[in-house]
Amino acid sequence: MNPCKLKISKWLLALPLAFSLHTELHAETVARYGISMADIPLTTGQPDRGAGAYQFTGHTLYDPLIAWEANVGTRPGKLIPGLATEWKVDAKDQKKWVFTLRKGVKFHDDSEFNADSVIWNLDKVLADKAAQFDAKQSAQVRPRVPSIDSYRKLGDYSVEITTKEIDALFPYQLPWFLISSPAQWEKLGKDWNKVASQPSGTGPFKLDKLVPRERADLVKNTAYWDKTRLAKTDRIVLVPIPDAMTRANALLNGQVDIIETPPPDVLPQLKASGFKLVQNVTPHVWPYHFSTYPGSPWTDIRVRKAANLAIDRDAVVQLMSGLASPAKGQVDASSPWFGKPTFKLGYDLAAARKLMAEAGYSQAKPLKAKIIIAQGGTGQMLSLPMNEFVQQSLAEVGIDVSFEVVELENLYRHWRAGAKGDINASKNITAINLGYVTADPFYAITRFTDSKYVAPNGVNWGGYNNPKVDAALEKIRTTFDTKTQDGLLAFVHQSMVDDAQMLWVVHDVNPHALSPKVKEFVQAQHWFQDLTTIRM
Amino acid sequence: MFAYILKRLIYAIPIALSVTVVSFILVYLAPGDPLSAIAPADAPEEVIIALRSAYGLDQPVPVQYGLWLMRAVQGDLGLSIATGREVTSEVMRAVGNTLLLAGFAALIGVIAGCLFGALAGYRHGSWIDRIATALSVIGVSIPHYWLGLVLTILFSIWRPWFPAMGAGPGGSSEWLWDLEHFRYLVLPAVTLSVIPMGIITRTVRALVADMLGQEFVSALRARGLSGVAVFRHVAKNTAPTVLAVAGLQIGYLMGGSILVETVFAWPGTGFLLNTAIFQRDIPLLQGTILVLCMFFVVLNLLVDILQPMIDPRMGRA
Amino acid sequence: MSATLPLPSPVAVSAAQPSRSYWAVVWRQLRRDPMALAAGGVLLLIIAAAVFAPWLAPADPYKASMIKRLLPIGSSGFLLGTDELGRDLLTRLMYGGRLSLLMGVVPVLAAFGIGTAIGLFAGYVGGKVNMVIMRVLDVFYAFPSVLLAVAISGALGPGLSNSLIALTLVFVPQVVRVAESVTIQVRQLDYIEAARMSGASAFSIIRVHVLGNVLGPVFVYATGLLSVSMILASGLSFLGLGVKPPEPEWGLMLNTLRSAIYSNPWVAALPGLLIFVTSIAFNLLADSVRSAMDIRR
Repeated sequence: MNPCKLKISKWLLALPLAFSLHTELHAETVARYGISMADIPLTTGQPDRGAGAYQFTGHTLYDPLIAWEANVGTRPGKLIPGLATEWKVDAKDQKKWVFTLRKGVKFHDDSEFNADSVIWNLDKVLADKAAQFDAKQSAQVRPRVPSIDSYRKLGDYSVEITTKEIDALFPYQLPWFLISSPAQWEKLGKDWNKVASQPSGTGPFKLDKLVPRERADLVKNTAYWDKTRLAKTDRIVLVPIPDAMTRANALLNGQVDIIETPPPDVLPQLKASGFKLVQNVTPHVWPYHFSTYPGSPWTDIRVRKAANLAIDRDAVVQLMSGLASPAKGQVDASSPWFGKPTFKLGYDLAAARKLMAEAGYSQAKPLKAKIIIAQGGTGQMLSLPMNEFVQQSLAEVGIDVSFEVVELENLYRHWRAGAKGDINASKNITAINLGYVTADPFYAITRFTDSKYVAPNGVNWGGYNNPKVDAALEKIRTTFDTKTQDGLLAFVHQSMVDDAQMLWVVHDVNPHALSPKVKEFVQAQHWFQDLTTIRM
Repeated sequence: MFAYILKRLIYAIPIALSVTVVSFILVYLAPGDPLSAIAPADAPEEVIIALRSAYGLDQPVPVQYGLWLMRAVQGDLGLSIATGREVTSEVMRAVGNTLLLAGFAALIGVIAGCLFGALAGYRHGSWIDRIATALSVIGVSIPHYWLGLVLTILFSIWRPWFPAMGAGPGGSSEWLWDLEHFRYLVLPAVTLSVIPMGIITRTVRALVADMLGQEFVSALRARGLSGVAVFRHVAKNTAPTVLAVAGLQIGYLMGGSILVETVFAWPGTGFLLNTAIFQRDIPLLQGTILVLCMFFVVLNLLVDILQPMIDPRMGRA
Repeated sequence: MSATLPLPSPVAVSAAQPSRSYWAVVWRQLRRDPMALAAGGVLLLIIAAAVFAPWLAPADPYKASMIKRLLPIGSSGFLLGTDELGRDLLTRLMYGGRLSLLMGVVPVLAAFGIGTAIGLFAGYVGGKVNMVIMRVLDVFYAFPSVLLAVAISGALGPGLSNSLIALTLVFVPQVVRVAESVTIQVRQLDYIEAARMSGASAFSIIRVHVLGNVLGPVFVYATGLLSVSMILASGLSFLGLGVKPPEPEWGLMLNTLRSAIYSNPWVAALPGLLIFVTSIAFNLLADSVRSAMDIRR
């Protein structure tokens, strides 16, 4: 037989095989999700790649002690019980929090969840000397739970966590701390790299397959403890497609069913081809976070204010084809924490130029500054064009901005290091452009304003230090009444705006594009999304 | 012949070594402290200490190079800064995918190039020649990442015949040699093939035209030799050069697929390089470049060895 | 990427020094070649538009306006439409030509200068020195050119000057090879030997006798590199390794305008088309120059 024919017959044999495989899988419902990241986020417990990654390999595979309600889209979510059914602050010593744990919960490897697993996980990210300590997970979550001082087991289903100071907002830090299975780590030879491909949590999905940089398959955990949150699709395939245009093409071509952040200019094409666009009010802001350390060009408040007055935010919204709303501050003006700032963000070139002139700069004699930005990615919106627009707008008032463009995960590294960190200081980077989640008081306000959280102890990146704000924050921590808390938060936010701590540009609406095959997807008003709500 | 092969082999060794030097030096090209180029900014003390000793950063540079080389030879290219995974396994997986893409592109390029080139050479000066020449100029002039974008719009959106991205429905780890998977290869490979197509068309055209113009060919013809015999003669004489050019092209394609892989999200070395650069992941960059260049060196060596074997002009010693 | 010009076929070296009349013949030949005229004309047009952009361009290349974004070709006031930030595309393309051409031409010029100097030196001195130089350069040959450019600019970090350095480093070894091989051929010619016997200094021999012979073939080779350099450079910018925003550059513009391909396909296609046309013109002109200079044979 001639070799050429042999090859053809092999092909013919392979074809029906491929078809039969296809029919076998037919009963399973599959949603393929094109995500904007360059790689599948860390699967071992604490995802890397920012807040946007929690919806993919965080809250799918794992559960936190206290969860965020992400399966409603009609109102903002709230804190709800996760692996802890109840949490209470100790009336005598308000630094102590007691958590009652959920009974009968099992990890994917069938081992039991209990107080020991909680302590083990806290050690995993906070105790450098522990055998299970994982530097990578720790780096991700340590800045997200800055209040934890110590912890101990009270009973098989009871744990006590002590905070550094009294901190009424502490529960808001806990949706970011996820619990992975100690037994699985033991079983896999105590090797976190092995756990990455066979992780075990308590979450609504199990990881079936991981191909780094290409694909992760999440399959429904039918034994999930929360029956109201059973996955509506059997399998969700996460496909990293960092390039927005390629992502949109993959959707148009039918290779994926859902994509996040479609390029705004492709929306008309998507809609014309029958694709749905989903968006929601999202607590998110796209700012330039300034460094105010000595030597930074942004130490002068007049410069910071001028920058805020130089941007035509409506134009940015237009650039986003309407997928954004203009920012008046860190949070939306409708938020109870907005307050009454005297400094009104807006577009006023004359005022901006006047402020710059007072500071000693002009278009002819511009102030120079270097800003680090992302190539793109979740929450970064249209990073390059928007930054280019801001750059052009700032040039109009005499601020000459240059960019250091990096990949998103690298940007997070620069972020956690703080403006004083060597990686920023050595390159003279004095502002960072990073989309921020502003869902709760801690995430929106406290972590950026408290002088205690100056990086690397937290993500007060630029070293913001305002004694009045610190005093108010101190009061917030010891106030367990929400109304009073809101009032104090409003004062802090108002100070942030009046101090022009950042250059706030717009709020994102976190758009998703869905193929007509997707029957249901509830988009929460948060950066956390609940993938169990996807129904095909 | 054996002596010749041995000579080529020996000659390849210093080249291969120098490639390792250049790859190693990338760490020093990167701005800032070399340690910061190979360790994550938030790495704990143990990791930093481990890396310092692995690269021997307190030692003189040649010693550092030696240490690094020793590990590299043993297949240890270090850990990726961004993912913490072993660079070796990341690179090897990507190399397989790129080889698939580059090999297929080279195949298309060589076949189309030989065909166009031969036609153009045979009909020197005719309209076929003009078209083939135009195609070859287009092939070497077109920014092929742009061509990739255009092809995607045409053949995966407007006429959805081929997938727009990726290496197979299940990712590269489930690659199968069937029609379904093959469809994923078509657009990126065609996009990538225009360069070798252009270059090989030019080469073959010139060779064939040259050959046919020579007196002995006309003599052969005059003696009544059939067209087939003349063709065989021409083919035999052009094959060595075509092989040499084609061999180099595979190497160039492996290094040059970065743009096409970015456009088609093809999980190969180019995609890896692009990520490594923007993550400032120097160990990954180092490893990818080292492995790709070694491929190139080996390919050059193979061409050098094979070429005289099939060249009728060189005596079969 | 077509960074892979085949080495020129063994260059013909004439015994006589190239005379003024030789260049005149080449020039006449070129003027009669319709392909050369067309390609040259197109290039002149593009170069002129780029060089005189500040005087010719109808608008400010940086001035953004969101209400005017992505206007189609032929909109009133915007001959070629506008880009994703509402900037006049014709203006951006003219200014973009400056950087794209600069990134295409400068590395080749630099490599031409540096490469010829090294090649002449190595070829003229010969012996061990030559061998060392050529072996060192062989190392660079072990790198596929795109990879070398990407590796260098990747390690150095993005930016215009880093790309220029990377591209120059890619081309130098290639030029040296050509210059060296021609120099060696020329060196063996009788009249050079005679000049050396008569006690002329090495420098003056190189300058008077060798250089003239070497420049031609190297020049031919370098013209062939122009299109390669253009495409490589725009590729680097496309990846985000070349020019940084907001500087207009064709490769970068091609990248940022991509998402307009559905809403405004012609506007999105223009930067790529310009790279393509310029690169073809460079290639055709290089071919014509090569055949015009071949008359010596």
